Amino acid sequence: MRAFKERRGAFVARVGRDEREVLASLVADVAELLGGVRLEGLGRAELDALVASGDDAPRLRTAPVPAPDDPAVRRLLPDASRENPEVSAEFRRLTEDDLRARKVARLARLWSDLSDPAGDDALRVPLDRAPEVAATFTDVRLVVAERLGVTTDDDAERLYEEAARPGTDATRHYLVSVYAALTWLQESLVTLMLERHRRGDDDD
Amino acid sequence: MPAGTSTQEREETREEAAVADPWVTIVWNDPVNLMTYVTYVFETYFGHPHAKAEKLMRQVHEEGRAAVSSGSLEQMEVDVEAMHGFGLWATLQRSGQ
Repeated sequence: MRAFKERRGAFVARVGRDEREVLASLVADVAELLGGVRLEGLGRAELDALVASGDDAPRLRTAPVPAPDDPAVRRLLPDASRENPEVSAEFRRLTEDDLRARKVARLARLWSDLSDPAGDDALRVPLDRAPEVAATFTDVRLVVAERLGVTTDDDAERLYEEAARPGTDATRHYLVSVYAALTWLQESLVTLMLERHRRGDDDD
Repeated sequence: MPAGTSTQEREETREEAAVADPWVTIVWNDPVNLMTYVTYVFETYFGHPHAKAEKLMRQVHEEGRAAVSSGSLEQMEVDVEAMHGFGLWATLQRSGQ
């Protein structure tokens, strides 16, 4: 894996075939958590429709939307108020369907980029799509961190040490390694985005 | 606000917000979001100059939370929804709480 670099109107990272498969499968897991659909099972047209549905007009709900039970989903779609359940419920009714659809759409798009069988090891993110890719990396990292029981900054720091020293739990080590790789990839992308923004080049 | 949401309850909330304290959007610290990313969101979404965005980011990181915007309940709902879209942990509350 090689960090993102800016190249001809895009941010480009190098992600090898095995690493792509690992990332794609994790991205599909998060999409399933949020959207209840398995991306691998979709045809091209269904996948395109799912990606396009992120831009649909606001969805109208008249009945309340219950808060998600899964703590990882709840972290992606948190309560809007800590002390006022009515404010939280109203916010969920107005926003949750749209937020979910947008998150699933951008996960589907990233999954599609990672799963392109004709693709080489370049992960190419056009400049105008960089914010959605950075946000998608965040969503995936939030879910992995929740599954790994990360609740404090110290827990998160320890993950990087853990990534370097495999323990006996292979599944945990797999998740820790992917988390560390995604963090590193996201940091390289966001650093370039921030530099570009500060140069005033966002509108190129 | 999307069309079709003007229930009576909604109207009451709106009047209440107009006469009472304005609301604020709070961003909370979490162990996952990168400092660069939080700064990026504050600079690009709120349009804060880079020093102010970094100061707010540090406040979130060191004090556990920062108020990042204020206004009516409806405006804060828009900001909180945007923050959740970015993956930041945000809530809204009446200012002064």
